[in-house]
Amino acid sequence: MSQERRTLEGTIDVDEQDVATVSRQARSATTLRLIRYTVLRLIALFFTVVVGVYLTILIANMGGYVDEIRKAQIRSNIDLAASEDPALKLMPPEERLEILQERVALAEKRYGLDQPFFVRSFRYLRDALTLNLGFAEQLTSDSGSKQVRLVITERLPSTLVLFATSNFLLFFVAIFAALGLSRRYGSRWDKVTMAMAPTSAAPAWFYGLFLILIFAGIFRVLPFGGMVDAPPPEDPLAFALSVAKHMVLPVLATLMAAVFLSTYNWRTFFLIFSSEDYVDMAKAKGLTNKMIERRYVLRPTLPNIITSFALTLISLWLGAIILETVFNWPGLGRLYYRAIGLYDTPVIVAVTVVYAYLLGFTVFLLDFVYAIVDPRVRVGQGGAGQ
Amino acid sequence: MKRALPLLAIALLLFATLSACQPSTPEEEVAPEEPVATEEVVTEEETEPEAPTTTRTGAWVDEVVVVEEPNADAGVTRLEAGDIDVYAFPISSAGTYATILETEGIDYKTSFGSFNELTFNPSQCADTGRLNPFAVPRIREAMNYLVDRQYIVDEIMGGLGTPRWVPINTASADRGRLAAEIRAIEAQYAHDADMAAEMVAEEMEALGATLEADQWVYEGEPVELIGIIRTEDERTQIGDYFANQLETLGFTVRRDYKTSAEAAPIWQQSDPTECQFHYYTGGWVATSINRDAGSNFNFYYTPSGLPRPLWQAYTPVEAFADVSQRLYDNDFATMEERQQLFATALPLAMEDSVRVWLLDRSSVAPLREEIQVASDLSGSIYGTILWPYTLRREGEEGGSVTWASASILTEPWNPVAGTNWIYDTALIRATGEWSYVIDPNTGLAWPSRIESLEVTAQEGLPVTKSLDWVTLGFEPEITVPDDAWVDWDAEAQTFLTASEVYTETETALMRTVATYPADLFETVKWHDGSPFSVGDMIMALIMTFDQAKEASPIFDEAQVPALQSFQSTFKGIRITSMDPVTVEYYTDNWALDAENAIGNLNTLWPYYGYGQAPWHMIALGVLAEQEGLAAFSADKATANTVEQFSYIAGPTLEILANTLTEATAAGTLPYSATLGMYVDAEEIAARYENYSQWYADREHFWVGTGPLMLREAFPVEGTVVLERNPDYPDASDRWAMFSAPQIAVATIDGPARVTPGEAATFDVFVEYEGEPYATDDIETVSYLVFDATNQLVAQGDATAVGDGVWSVELGSDVTTGLEAGSNRIEVVVVSKLVALPSLASYDFVTAP
Repeated sequence: MSQERRTLEGTIDVDEQDVATVSRQARSATTLRLIRYTVLRLIALFFTVVVGVYLTILIANMGGYVDEIRKAQIRSNIDLAASEDPALKLMPPEERLEILQERVALAEKRYGLDQPFFVRSFRYLRDALTLNLGFAEQLTSDSGSKQVRLVITERLPSTLVLFATSNFLLFFVAIFAALGLSRRYGSRWDKVTMAMAPTSAAPAWFYGLFLILIFAGIFRVLPFGGMVDAPPPEDPLAFALSVAKHMVLPVLATLMAAVFLSTYNWRTFFLIFSSEDYVDMAKAKGLTNKMIERRYVLRPTLPNIITSFALTLISLWLGAIILETVFNWPGLGRLYYRAIGLYDTPVIVAVTVVYAYLLGFTVFLLDFVYAIVDPRVRVGQGGAGQ
Repeated sequence: MKRALPLLAIALLLFATLSACQPSTPEEEVAPEEPVATEEVVTEEETEPEAPTTTRTGAWVDEVVVVEEPNADAGVTRLEAGDIDVYAFPISSAGTYATILETEGIDYKTSFGSFNELTFNPSQCADTGRLNPFAVPRIREAMNYLVDRQYIVDEIMGGLGTPRWVPINTASADRGRLAAEIRAIEAQYAHDADMAAEMVAEEMEALGATLEADQWVYEGEPVELIGIIRTEDERTQIGDYFANQLETLGFTVRRDYKTSAEAAPIWQQSDPTECQFHYYTGGWVATSINRDAGSNFNFYYTPSGLPRPLWQAYTPVEAFADVSQRLYDNDFATMEERQQLFATALPLAMEDSVRVWLLDRSSVAPLREEIQVASDLSGSIYGTILWPYTLRREGEEGGSVTWASASILTEPWNPVAGTNWIYDTALIRATGEWSYVIDPNTGLAWPSRIESLEVTAQEGLPVTKSLDWVTLGFEPEITVPDDAWVDWDAEAQTFLTASEVYTETETALMRTVATYPADLFETVKWHDGSPFSVGDMIMALIMTFDQAKEASPIFDEAQVPALQSFQSTFKGIRITSMDPVTVEYYTDNWALDAENAIGNLNTLWPYYGYGQAPWHMIALGVLAEQEGLAAFSADKATANTVEQFSYIAGPTLEILANTLTEATAAGTLPYSATLGMYVDAEEIAARYENYSQWYADREHFWVGTGPLMLREAFPVEGTVVLERNPDYPDASDRWAMFSAPQIAVATIDGPARVTPGEAATFDVFVEYEGEPYATDDIETVSYLVFDATNQLVAQGDATAVGDGVWSVELGSDVTTGLEAGSNRIEVVVVSKLVALPSLASYDFVTAP
């Protein structure tokens, strides 16, 4: 590196114009490289999204077998309804059978089952990629709408408020606790954290069950579940406090399930970076611990921290099925679970495609963020960030 | 300072959280209502309940808060903690049931709405190398001996069930009528694995199979049976149990575990000759007490049942097919003849056995012990229309009750084609009312809004009545009058009369004449304050036809089959008087019970398929649907890619609000050519004004005349708040008699030893909660005598001695035939108050 600089310095006196040209060419090459990289990266990511979404469509429909299931369900429902219709009972059998067949045909048409799945699968894909989320086939939103957009967005605030709180709390508690522990390697708290790390083998809902039993069932100081008191308070402050009360146990469960392992992971990560030569050098130069932490430990770990944070952020989109079920929380996780159970393809695909776009966009963005926060990284040199 | 700030923040957060943890205080106290004097609207003195014990009207409680709790175990825990008062969901899990029994302070209501059976594939396999033993009726019949139903009930269901042998529900009118016949079949087909093995061996050998090393082999291959075993409930264990039993007989069983959705294409849709399954663990649900099981044989055993491949494979013997068809067609003149047809069909059903019935499941809906509420014997708490009338804390008037439901606000609420989920329907019914109620213990109707009902049936129809409030008569021919409305001209928006439609005089099999009280329009009010009017009744009739007519601006293809079905029996309707309102209705659709001839349509009561509604509530939907802004039915909404109406929440509220504003400004009345004859401009203006005010206050459009009003729905939070309708006219205790089913408890006492050839007398005591059961409330007490070999040797009816005491006398001719040893006498008590027979047995020995 220093050799090149000397060489350039040596030519300055000779030809300034050449230097400017070389500089322009270098900038131009960088821009071209960046554009090429961006375009290729976007194409690759889009192709990944297309493949992922189409696979989801195929899997959610069991390769078309769901049509058979739905047809059988339609027949079954119509048959049962007919068996309780006294007027149908009085009809001649042929006429009755004809009416039943008409009802079946009508219902099949309503669900689009009069078209082959293969054709419909590409319609699903087209609508998904253009974010034309359309109407749900089975589900309705809580307020009664069939628009997939509303089905999902009605649940989004409750999901965000719970999981953003718990995940961000977990994220920052773990990061700062890990930093502290990395400074006190081998201390009592460090040992306690290491000892408690295996508790994360149990999921959050498992702790949730115990917390409900203790704080709702026995002490009766916190609610069993739900998002707010019933009926919900009209005063906004009282409403917010009620929501906060209902969040205590699920947030606590999330923390209990993950905080020790997460802290342990980060702490190990920080320890690795703390033992680098340049950190020892900084210590030898007499820099303060805070300065060393900020400049020589945190900065090189920033890409990892940002990646983790970004993925935490977009994972909010998916909610948590079992935790929401245990705490009867009206979140997206339960909604997706119902959609899967009902084979509601538009909802399943909508969730998937939005997540896929979010993930693709995040991955794309992270490449550039890495380059900004870490001087060792160059975009477009040998593919993704180095 | 830097350290103090975070600490302060934490302290504030803790304070806020702990403050929120305090029990929330009610937002406002509910003022006690002034006592309102009311009059009962029923006429027959004997149908009146006990003298009023309260001056309160409508619901006992001031408020019902409905919350969602999908998990039954959590529901029980919350009940125990007092967090909820009622868990309105029938639980069939033995483990949860055990918890309920062990938990202090929790009571439960039992219902018998679902039942299980084994469905067999009765076809020969197309692949001649494969053998389907269940194609042989006698092998299917043998399965009745093979399964130990009591074991299934006791060990698999944890006691939550009743063994069942026949296609008639435990909680049904016919179960009582046929108690003796059914008991005889139960005795004949009692568990006997040796008998089953013997029957199967005979038939398998006749088919060419051989038993090698305890395995049935056919053409050199083990005989393999495929069982489709459902995985959602105890049918998994039942399917496994049956597979084990088949294996003990020497069959190889492949257990194919599947969910409902996965199993349906196989057992319902596949060609039975492909032999993709041999047995399936079937389950069925009855949502109300069945008053007529006559069609069950046809439905469950013959190809006429359903147009599905499995049903088309049924080949009942001619005698069975004939008797099934006669019962299906109600081809009998008297109830005695009907009884005889059942007595013929039951043994034939056992010999056919394309289904082997296993058990009626009992389900329990838990509630706190201080809560009183009616519960339907089939449909549980949420299945009876009487729950809002009877729900209360024992001895209390007013207060709030928290009702938990497994789901809530599942689909859009609209009265024409909205949600049909029971969780929603239960709440919708509470906000509305029918012109009648259904006794949750017998399934018989009682008048609620109408004053009287005259039923006239064509002579020869076996229609009977059990209650005095209905008048029943017969005529040789019932003619439809010329001025009766029989159809709807959607273009002209007027009704068509019989003289315009029928080319010759039309007759009907039944006529009903419903008369309302003279003060109907003064006493009944909609929740928004609008008085009930005849316009509400006419709108309900218009909507029965209009949507299914192609010329209608709100034509909905999905409504056509329902109208076709309705018009196949509907003959005409007319209003013969406006003061009091009297409605005459002509139909070919008749029921065995004259009481159940009542319905909302033949009384012109404005309760639509999915909720009650005044004309102005329907009008908004009609006007908006005409504009293509939304649709009543999900089918039309999907087809037109618009929203389905929800009158309580969501994007269609704005559509309805805008339509209301426009209709108010223009004074719009849909169907004015007809409705305009009954609704004047003053009423139009008043209705829209009241409705606008209601929407401004409540932010929803849901109104009815029921005992509870929808105060607010919180869709995302999963909460609904219902409050007492202060204008409801009837006394709160009007239907108190249905709060608890008076299930009789029978005991037998008599000689421990009987000498053959000598008469013997047994006393039967029938009680309810320790008090004698009134003789007038008993339909029959019949007895059966089984000898030492479990053969039925005598049966008959007991004689009433006095209230709660009956006597059975076994003559010397009966005792002479008894073999020496232990014999048994059983009694079956059938009450008029509960469609659930009570059984008792007594063992005695005979010795010379």
